[in-house]
Amino acid sequence: MAQFEKEIVQAVLIADNNVWNFKPLSDEGSTALLPLVNVRMLDYALMALNRSGVEEVFVYTSLYRSSIREHIRAGIATDAAWSFKMTVHVIGGEGCRCFGDAMRDLDNKALIRGHFILLGADTVTNADLRPVLEQHKRQAKFDKGTAATLVFKECANNVRTGNEVLIAVDRRNDRLHYHQRLRMHHKENRYQLPLDVFLGNSCVALHHNLLDPQIAIGSPSMLSLFNDNFDFQTRDDFVRGLLINEELLDSRIYVALLPAAQYAHKVNNWPAYQLVSRDIINRWAYPFVPDIGLYKLQQEYVFHKDNIYKSPEAHVSKVALLQNVVIEAGSHVDSGSVISDSVIGANCRIGKNCRLTNAFLMADVTVMDNCRLEHCVVGEGAIINEDCDVSAGCVLGAKSVLPAKKTLAKTLITRTPSRRRSDDEVVVELKSIGPHAYIVSDLTTGDPEDSECEDLLPQQPLSIPKMGDLLAPLDEISYCSDFSEDDEDASRAVTPLPDDTNIFLGEVIDSLTRGFREKSNPDFLVLEINSSRYAYNMSLKEVNFNVVKAVFGMQSIVEPANDNVLVAINAAFKQLGPVVSNYIKSEDSMMDCLKALEDVYEENHLVRGKISQIVHYLYDKDFVSESAIQAWYAQLDEEEHAHLRQSLAKLVAWLDQSSEEDDDEEDDD
Amino acid sequence: MTEFQAVVFAAGRGTRLPEVLGDAPKCLLPVGPYPLIWYPLNLLQQHNFTEVIVVVLEQEKLEIQSALENTPLKLRLDYATIPSDGDFGTADSLRYIYDKIKSDFLVVSCDLVSNVSLYPLINKFREHDAALAMLLFPSGFESDVVMPGPKSKHKPERDLIGIHAATQRLAFVSAASDCEETLNIQRHLLKNRGRLDVYSRLVDAHVYVLKKWVIDYLRRKENISTFKGEFLPHLIKKQHSKRPPKTVQDTTSEVGVVTKNEDHVLHYVGHTILDQKITQTSLFNQSLSQSPYHGDIVRCYGIQAPRDAIGVRVNNTLSFLAINRKLASIWNNLCGEKHPLISPGAVVKSTQTKEIIAADNAKLSEKTSLNFSVFGPNCIISPKNIVANSLIMSNAIVEEGCNIDNCIIGHRAQVKSGSVLKNCIIGPNYVVEEGTHSQAVHLSNADQFMEIDIQ
Repeated sequence: MAQFEKEIVQAVLIADNNVWNFKPLSDEGSTALLPLVNVRMLDYALMALNRSGVEEVFVYTSLYRSSIREHIRAGIATDAAWSFKMTVHVIGGEGCRCFGDAMRDLDNKALIRGHFILLGADTVTNADLRPVLEQHKRQAKFDKGTAATLVFKECANNVRTGNEVLIAVDRRNDRLHYHQRLRMHHKENRYQLPLDVFLGNSCVALHHNLLDPQIAIGSPSMLSLFNDNFDFQTRDDFVRGLLINEELLDSRIYVALLPAAQYAHKVNNWPAYQLVSRDIINRWAYPFVPDIGLYKLQQEYVFHKDNIYKSPEAHVSKVALLQNVVIEAGSHVDSGSVISDSVIGANCRIGKNCRLTNAFLMADVTVMDNCRLEHCVVGEGAIINEDCDVSAGCVLGAKSVLPAKKTLAKTLITRTPSRRRSDDEVVVELKSIGPHAYIVSDLTTGDPEDSECEDLLPQQPLSIPKMGDLLAPLDEISYCSDFSEDDEDASRAVTPLPDDTNIFLGEVIDSLTRGFREKSNPDFLVLEINSSRYAYNMSLKEVNFNVVKAVFGMQSIVEPANDNVLVAINAAFKQLGPVVSNYIKSEDSMMDCLKALEDVYEENHLVRGKISQIVHYLYDKDFVSESAIQAWYAQLDEEEHAHLRQSLAKLVAWLDQSSEEDDDEEDDD
Repeated sequence: MTEFQAVVFAAGRGTRLPEVLGDAPKCLLPVGPYPLIWYPLNLLQQHNFTEVIVVVLEQEKLEIQSALENTPLKLRLDYATIPSDGDFGTADSLRYIYDKIKSDFLVVSCDLVSNVSLYPLINKFREHDAALAMLLFPSGFESDVVMPGPKSKHKPERDLIGIHAATQRLAFVSAASDCEETLNIQRHLLKNRGRLDVYSRLVDAHVYVLKKWVIDYLRRKENISTFKGEFLPHLIKKQHSKRPPKTVQDTTSEVGVVTKNEDHVLHYVGHTILDQKITQTSLFNQSLSQSPYHGDIVRCYGIQAPRDAIGVRVNNTLSFLAINRKLASIWNNLCGEKHPLISPGAVVKSTQTKEIIAADNAKLSEKTSLNFSVFGPNCIISPKNIVANSLIMSNAIVEEGCNIDNCIIGHRAQVKSGSVLKNCIIGPNYVVEEGTHSQAVHLSNADQFMEIDIQ
């Protein structure tokens, strides 16, 4: 067959994803065409494919097919860097609502002839994927069930952008055995992995420090697997499904790690947008750096020290740019303004005395005097009037106008006053802060599950991830982990290894609690306790001690109703008194009983408060004798049990007195 | 004072090899020409140890002592006895001999047969000022040997061992049988520590290099009884704990309970202010975090033996048979040629022999075919016999015309003429009647012992 003579390298690019995460800017156009350091995200992905020797690319879009097609056409016309030796087709349709739909559609169209590279349009990578593709093909020859090879990249795990994963990989053949996406807002304290993963393989490597840039090499069978399993919506569904039904589907997934020198990241939300912008400006993604004509094949910027990329046609004094700034042609910055860690699009105007840090301005943005912009994105053609303070992850939609003297944080602003919810067609009125500025609250944007091509975690809270200080979470994490470690350590220290005595005590407590609740015959309880006693080989002394301890260890006394411990004790002894008196008969056993009380005194603060009444109560009910109490009191250590002695002093004095007077008149407490 | 002391544990009761043990101590089980305990001692001798503490049961001391005197060992052996009646775990034993430990020390089990070099292990320990370093073997030494006797569901115990690939530090060691359906891994074991390799087919060689303070700490933890099962996981866990703040008097408590400050592992580590300053100024940092070793003061390492190294723990009947059968073929690698396999006192008249080991005074008659087998002291093999893949223990007698394949013939057992035995275990003193044809059975006198499957 002719197509096997020269197998061309094909790739599939999924555009129009992350719609929800990029609101409100995603309402006005495809997310694939969102500028990232003044270059469209789609162009980064296309260039990555071109560098990896891909000859034919299918860009799969759903909502904004025409604008993407237009962009591709314009790119070819202007000799964009990726247009050489690579043909680009734009396919897709309105009906496609998720990643899985796209894969099924591709399978039906039978466009893919061999192993292919699968990429999101939001991936920025300078990796050469050819070796990974070769490795995948070799693997596929060896293992006919090879469905895909997922590509991961090691990362520092300090900032979470929703792309971090924990995977378990067989060290011998790089086969994936476990895949867990780490949640963005939640720090797991522990991970639970199925034991079979480890027992079935001699050595399994756990990678926790991995980033999933959504790069994969697919086998032709990958597409048909999507067709066979219509419930696969996302790539994660696919991975999960294959891992669970490994044998049923007879398919396996392999893993490739990118070398340390290669960069890969997925721009799926605003924090990732900020992170990748910073990396590009800091030249980590070389050769994808602003001063190389990425898209237009002409140099647009002059590269100055401190990572300042300034277009020769931008009107800005050098003093204004501190570090890590990209400023495109036609922009104008007035005197007194300071910019750092920011990207300024074409033809922007920034007034006097503004401060911009971590601000991302698209083309034609106007910022009036005395504004402060921090950690924010400003859409194309937006206007920010005087004396505004915009910070902490604000996003201003295209052409919105922010009135003067507004302070905004963590807010999304759009130009259009109303928005239709995608599902129930209810018009939601948005809160207005100006004639062309309406606040988009996270809730009115609709459920993330409803939006197009979404691959979020279901557990993710209903809030669009916002930009923020990239370094801030670092401290928080280390604090967190220290805390949890300490915490855990403490709990470990408290739980002693269960020895026989403790098990025995536990069993007696169980017996008594049940007997108390069910009002069972005390004789049976004695029988039960005795059998436990022989099972754990307890001496009589230990049994006496533990039975009393167990009575006081019952839930009803440890946590009595209304904190009234005396009532609880009274109730308990009414029911369980015969059990206790079965053991506490002799003077010696009374001593054991009081010793146990001494223990309880230290553990239970309620008992501590009422100790003299409790001892008195036991005396009243003839569990302990006067002489036992006196003997016990006498042997209490002066220093160690100072408080206990103090609490008991009165009672003992009274006992002494009453014995002298031979007075057995009883007073109820 | 020497840098390292060595302790060999030889007080085990050999509960997992009841069939072959008879009444002898486990450490005197015959492995080729020598008792089992000779092998770890020889290993220590090869590593230039001159003095070894041997922990034995009181009642077995003399027997072990006299057995070892007959072996070519130059080590000075210091026998530490533990009471025979007490139920001593390994950690208990260590606590018991506390006074003898004066420096950092090695703990070796008496059932280790290996030729592995301990230097990588010791050097790792030295290099990182570790609290513990343990040796790990790949399992599978006995995988090609069929267990004789009745077919049983022999399930080897397996450990799950987590080692950080970059640093070889131990993250956890836990028995697979202790886990339920899932393995729980704490986040701090993964965070910033790179790849964590989890091994399920490594065998703990029971060779540990330990800091002196570890035994001080162990002494405190009196409720810990076994080393491998309780103390080792405990210590490994404690690696990541932070030093608790100095004890503050608990003001809420009226009693003023004295908190036991020395209870925490980190109070035992000799970590001085000077050490801290050295760490701060040092350029060394292997970890991915800010401070070397992530600021961990207790460090445990797991070192894997090279693939070609021989390593087996003779702690069940299967491995006991396996080491004996294979010993002849690995002998030169194991011990060098210094030690002859056929004892000078053995009488070998047989001409058809292949890879056999004969102990002192073993009589192997002519007209026999003897392959891959071991013959204990004073055993007698009559003419016209075929013995393959088997182990004939001391004083056993095999009469004429027998065919014995993959069997263990116990001490003083007797196989009468014409018997054909395959995959059998013959207990001590048992007499196999004339012309018996048996396969895969365990024959022994009475029910001398109960077989309790602990697993």
